[in-house]
Amino acid sequence: MSDLRVLFVAHNHPTLHPGGAEAYALELYEAMRETPGVEPLLLARIGTNVARRRVAHPGTPFSAVNGDPGQYFLFTETEHFDFFTLTSRDKALYTRHLTDFLLAHRPDVVHLQHTHFIGVDLLSQIRRVLPDASIVYTLHEFLPICHRDGQMVRTFDDDLCPEASPRRCNECFPELSPQAFFLRERFVKGHFANVDRFLAPSAQLMEKYLRWGIEEERIEVEEYGRLTPPERAGDPKQMRSPTNIGFFGQLSRFKGAEVMLDAMAQLDSDCDAHLWLNGANLELQTEEFQAEFAERSEELRDRITFRGPYDHDELPRLMEDLHWVIVPSIWWENSPLVIQEAFFHRRPIICSDVGGMAEKIRDGVDGIHFRAGDAWSLARTIERATSSAPLWNELRAGIEEPYAMDEHVGRLLDLYSETIDSRKAVVVGA
Amino acid sequence: MPRATVAEKRLRKALDADEHELRELLREEYAGLDAEERAKLMQKLASTAVGGNGGSPVMSARLHGVREVLRERLPICVVDERQPIGLAVEAILGVDERSFWINGWARTEDGPGELVAISPEGCRVELGEAFRFERPDVVQFYSGLGRADDRDHGFTAFFELPAASRLAAGWVVELHTAGGVAVEVGCPPVNTDPHSVRASILGELAARGPLAGPLAAEHGRHALTRLQERIVTAAEIDEVEVYGEPPKSPEVSVVVPLYRRIDFLEHQLLHFSVDPELAEAELIYVLDSVEQREELAARARELFALYRLPFKVVVPTAGSGYAGANRHGVEVATGRKLLLLNSDVIPDRPGWLGEMCRFYDEGEGIGALGAKLLYEDDSLQHAGLYFHRLPGTEVWENAHRFKGLHRHFPGADVAQPVPAVTAACVLIDRERYEEVGGLPFHYVQGDYEDSELCLRLAEAGYENWYLPSAELYHLEGQSYVAEARRGLSDYNMWLHSELWGEAIAAAMERFDPHAAAVA
Repeated sequence: MSDLRVLFVAHNHPTLHPGGAEAYALELYEAMRETPGVEPLLLARIGTNVARRRVAHPGTPFSAVNGDPGQYFLFTETEHFDFFTLTSRDKALYTRHLTDFLLAHRPDVVHLQHTHFIGVDLLSQIRRVLPDASIVYTLHEFLPICHRDGQMVRTFDDDLCPEASPRRCNECFPELSPQAFFLRERFVKGHFANVDRFLAPSAQLMEKYLRWGIEEERIEVEEYGRLTPPERAGDPKQMRSPTNIGFFGQLSRFKGAEVMLDAMAQLDSDCDAHLWLNGANLELQTEEFQAEFAERSEELRDRITFRGPYDHDELPRLMEDLHWVIVPSIWWENSPLVIQEAFFHRRPIICSDVGGMAEKIRDGVDGIHFRAGDAWSLARTIERATSSAPLWNELRAGIEEPYAMDEHVGRLLDLYSETIDSRKAVVVGA
Repeated sequence: MPRATVAEKRLRKALDADEHELRELLREEYAGLDAEERAKLMQKLASTAVGGNGGSPVMSARLHGVREVLRERLPICVVDERQPIGLAVEAILGVDERSFWINGWARTEDGPGELVAISPEGCRVELGEAFRFERPDVVQFYSGLGRADDRDHGFTAFFELPAASRLAAGWVVELHTAGGVAVEVGCPPVNTDPHSVRASILGELAARGPLAGPLAAEHGRHALTRLQERIVTAAEIDEVEVYGEPPKSPEVSVVVPLYRRIDFLEHQLLHFSVDPELAEAELIYVLDSVEQREELAARARELFALYRLPFKVVVPTAGSGYAGANRHGVEVATGRKLLLLNSDVIPDRPGWLGEMCRFYDEGEGIGALGAKLLYEDDSLQHAGLYFHRLPGTEVWENAHRFKGLHRHFPGADVAQPVPAVTAACVLIDRERYEEVGGLPFHYVQGDYEDSELCLRLAEAGYENWYLPSAELYHLEGQSYVAEARRGLSDYNMWLHSELWGEAIAAAMERFDPHAAAVA
């Protein structure tokens, strides 16, 4: 029996632009490459918004990645992407280039990590070109549901949004008619109809897609599997009081940057908490946000240390001085990878009490919840957490090892063969 | 033989000969006739020489030359606030070659006076039926004369000539007062652009009271009906682009006019491409906003490559509105049935077209078959049309049954005959469609064509039906600017009632829109 050919499609390559979903896509590809009987391919989109050069080669959007025969860049023009309808205006991308690519590799499974900058039309084109291929789609956020960067946070008051509808979406974007949102939804769902199985890394994310209309039998929860880090962070040198808190990830509004700064400003004067910001992509935020951030962190320089962008390999060293990791997002999140990182290095987490954070971190077991978006609640939580060594030790003991990549790969392979079998049944039955 | 008759014969011959001879003849022979004889001769020549399909711009120019020799000239009216008589023609609009619209004002000391228009070719038309209205600017201008004058000086009128007039310049209007004084003025060149003429006439109707008032009844309707005919029939099919291989002998042709929002094409093709019944149908798009032809062609090519559903794109020489676009679509259509569809209609699920065709075939004597149309929030947009008499008037408005109610409101879930259905999605046997003449052209910019079509079908003995099992979404009005249509809608509604009031009243005797359709 020949190897199972699995094509992974990602909206970005982590070597060009750091990000959770793309880092996971590469890890998964690498893990599959090590798995006997599997022949994986990774197709990662690049474009002018992340790459310096435009097209690698004239006449094709494809180019090789570091000489690896299993990895390709797919170049698409950012300006060709319709961010509202989630489609590329350049239809030749599907009908010519991606068709050629699919026919050249004939994957048994196409596992999409994202269709952003590529377009949902790809799903229909895969089905047309490869009628037998099974199509699996991992959902990383709410872009198909929500036009506000897939965050499901209302535009006018930053309230969490539980459910999209043409009427509600028009409330967030008065310049776009309810009919336009209706067409958007129908368009995305029209292409989504070709997907055999959706994977939701968190139950709360799955619940929102179920409410949006994905059928129960086409979606399941499957957490991100992670490779065990080769090296774990040691114990903090200072064990007397757990005062050091670390933030990892994008410093943006949705990630709770403002709530965090507000809370640090509101701490009791006798609280010794200190926040270490390990943040990437500040340069992608608005100038206004960057200026405000600079000013605020200057005011709080006794309480906050900004360490800037970091490499994944540096995590053990960066975690070493820390007692806590904080995840203060004001949106639902999916299953934030930083939670798994913190747990690998056995750091309990202070997090917002909503969405993926509330689901993945157990309040009082391996972390502490505070009221999402509420700086006062966060300040009191930090005061409590940083003043109690016994609490820290107890929560630390409650941490369980994150979902392992090899287990995840095993589950995915089962799922691929399930979907391939049911697809065969459909094709034979037709 | 009387002298004038001999003169006419010779002149008629000379008109066909060369210009030099004509000029000689006029100078030597006919200048001597008396004024009345000359006027009669001129009228006869003008109304026969260029009438019917005969005539040409050259002939018109010669007749104009004849007119200039034979015509009795009146003193030219000089508009001056110290002179009691004033006359001005502000616009002459060419409705078609034989009918015109005139705007201006006239002032005399002794009553409205008589207005006569003379075409460049020499036809005289009395404007006795002109619509008169108050012109405060004219009243103010003459206030220096110190005599109260509250007469309606403004005039606006539609009029017809016995023969075509093809020259833009050379119109003259005469004013004859009760006291026997007569003056004349020259007119500005005729505007013949149908779209701007239509806009000017609609503007005139709107300025003189309600759009559907007496001016519309006596003048506007005649002009607009002719203009619509002219606009719609002027456009011809310029190109039919075929994408893929459409079915050879389709049961049904789906005709979709595209106006401005060509982005709808992508949405329809996506949803149609997953419905095998649409692949068996002939899908025809007609571009009504022709300025988008290049853009549409580029998109259509790409979208066909992506969705693989064959379709045709008809591009006419000019935009001609909803009825016009459908006319071109039907001309290209080869199906035994026609499914007229708006571009902003998106099916709820596959199977709707087959559902409609089967129901049509199983029913007897169905005229138009309409579908259940939904808004984006799953409330009813269309479950059949009926007519509602506006309180205190003779005017009937189109009304939608159960509009805004839940999509599964029981009354809307039963197939039943209805007075009319919307053409946003309607299935009709092609022969029956042609038997009643298809969609009428006389409504301005799309409105009431569908209900008139249904009324015509009913008159021919067919029954219009509503079928709830065909469910589609209709994003109503997304391709039009609602504001711009509001005034027009009043005119169209009035015209519809004028033409079909009795049939509507009879239909509504038999139909109770509020009867719960469930047993």
